[in-house]
Amino acid sequence: MKKFFVTLFAVLGVATLSAQQLPDVKIEDITGKEVSVRSLATKPLIIAYWSIACKPCIQELNAINDALADWRKEADFNVIAVSIDDARLKATAKNMASARGWEFICLFDDNQELKRAMNVSLTPQSFVVDGEGNIIYSHSGYTPGSEESLFDKILDLKEGKTKEKKKK
Amino acid sequence: MRRLLLIALGLALCTSAVAQKRIGKGQVSGSFESQSIGYLDDKALGAAPDDHFGSNNYIKVDYMNGRFSAGIQCNAFLPVLQGYEDLADGFKFYLASKYIQWRDKNFEVLVGDIYDQYGNGLIYRSFEDRQLGLNNSLEGVRAGYNFGRFVAVKAMYGRPRLHTTYAKAWVRGADLSISLADICGIQESATLSLEGSFVNRYQKLDLEPDSFDYSPEIFAESGMDKTNLLMYSGRLNFSWNGLSLRGEYVHKSKDLSAFAPTAKSGYAILGEAAYSYKTFSITATYRQLSHMGTRVSLYDTTAANTLNYLPALTRQYTYMLANLEPYQVHSDGEMGGQVDVSYSLRSKNSRYRHWNFHANASIFYSTPSELNTQHKLLWLDVNADVERQWSKKWKTILLYSMQQRDNYGETITSHTVVGDVTYKIDRKKSLRLELQYLHSKEYEGDWVAGLLEFNIAPSWSVFASDMYNLGLTKVHYYNGGFSYTHNRTRVQLSYGRNRAGYVCSGGVCRYSPAYTGVSLMLTSSF
Repeated sequence: MKKFFVTLFAVLGVATLSAQQLPDVKIEDITGKEVSVRSLATKPLIIAYWSIACKPCIQELNAINDALADWRKEADFNVIAVSIDDARLKATAKNMASARGWEFICLFDDNQELKRAMNVSLTPQSFVVDGEGNIIYSHSGYTPGSEESLFDKILDLKEGKTKEKKKK
Repeated sequence: MRRLLLIALGLALCTSAVAQKRIGKGQVSGSFESQSIGYLDDKALGAAPDDHFGSNNYIKVDYMNGRFSAGIQCNAFLPVLQGYEDLADGFKFYLASKYIQWRDKNFEVLVGDIYDQYGNGLIYRSFEDRQLGLNNSLEGVRAGYNFGRFVAVKAMYGRPRLHTTYAKAWVRGADLSISLADICGIQESATLSLEGSFVNRYQKLDLEPDSFDYSPEIFAESGMDKTNLLMYSGRLNFSWNGLSLRGEYVHKSKDLSAFAPTAKSGYAILGEAAYSYKTFSITATYRQLSHMGTRVSLYDTTAANTLNYLPALTRQYTYMLANLEPYQVHSDGEMGGQVDVSYSLRSKNSRYRHWNFHANASIFYSTPSELNTQHKLLWLDVNADVERQWSKKWKTILLYSMQQRDNYGETITSHTVVGDVTYKIDRKKSLRLELQYLHSKEYEGDWVAGLLEFNIAPSWSVFASDMYNLGLTKVHYYNGGFSYTHNRTRVQLSYGRNRAGYVCSGGVCRYSPAYTGVSLMLTSSF
């Protein structure tokens, strides 16, 4: 059993090294219009998945929203909040996004098409994407303070550290 | 155990073979999810299952190259976890899905296992929910075309998945969406669309001529005399600034549900209005169902055998006691709805100080059917919560919920109060405490619960919780464990006693038996 987990971790460790592109999936925005997710990667992005029943996801988005004004003084980027609530909760999710005053691009993936394409197994799951649509960082789960690691990656992108690492 | 190691190693090697950096211009991505439980004997719950171990594992690998993509998913039950016995009898390793897809700007074609939804899912939704052990994807072909922003059309044909195999049935469907706002050149901020779908299920009625439950004679006696089931849906969606309205009407031809003794035609009505202005929002939903439970196969009555999506329109709680007895949809006959109101009050001086007020009510009545002859209350939940961010360090949530539910003719009332406090010790460390109390004069009486969580961002979380029945059973349901996250890999190890109950999602409820044991969850993606 021990060997199995050691092997698995090693394999998954190697796997996390590869850079991935955002899939070309179209999902609904807050007005109900279909938007290509890849077309939004014109500048660096934080993509955070959430649902109404996922408490840490909402905590994470609130924390990002609270810090956003300060972060934007240091770097130019967008935040995309992707709701995976199904058809019954989509309207409530849209309203929650408005009521919470989230200054994000809100997308609604009600049959989990983007979630499946980005291989998100559990939420919260957040990604940092560069201005060319490459996923450069991802994190599962949320603990208060872990939103800082997302912003650190945005700063790395600004300073070109991620590109240097990729070249090496 | 040897078999487990071999299969697990196979899965890991499979991942290793493909999980390298880009292959030519293409790229490979994927995910791995595993839940394993070691069951222990517990005097309070009785003996553990004979096989003291269960493990459900899922690996998914996708390849993408420009507009082309393809992928597979393999599931391994080593053996299957307790409560999922309808999925597999012990050990099972199988190909759960595969697809090849081409997606252009306006055109899409997919051959393989299809996940799709028409409108609100009232006539068709195929999806995967691993917690529920549900995967009703359609093995076949789907094609879709968008005529600019004006018209979108898609159609599909195939055989639906049922558990680890496929149902002996064929499903075809088509969906059309016309954007009237774009055709009429209405301004950008408004949307108006007219949509329609149809779904047909074809299944022979003489597949099991000698069966006691599913012989042609039994079908004939219950009035099920047609091999074709037809469902139609018409929808209208409108949104303008903060207002959105949507409605759907569904008609269904004669069909036999898992519960009703005779075949009946059905219908569904759904109406929803939502409005938001600045930080205030309100949503009201009404839904009526009559004989809408639809199965992919007439030859099976398990929960995962479902072709359409009839979720409970009730609040989704994250607190243990508020979620003790969730509402289960009465697809043969119910009417009711939900109202949800939110308001956020934010300090002008500090982004770290705000109030969030939220109230929600849902109520459902039965409509006369063969099972429920009366027009009686099935469910009522009136709840409100207030979230206060006091400063960068302190946050509190207070929740109250009054629930009434029908329990075989008796109405059971409960009142639940929850207090939730988060304290951020420094930039990385935080503590969270939940205290909950449920008061009820009926059923199992009062409950008390607590949870303490200590987090070190971004990787570690340690938690301990207990839920105790003060009334009838006087049993503790304790749980403790930790989780570790490194980038996209998360491991959670916990030990505890779990209460039997229904895990519900989307109108499908799986009965989860009580157990005491050690649980290991591993998820990763690449």
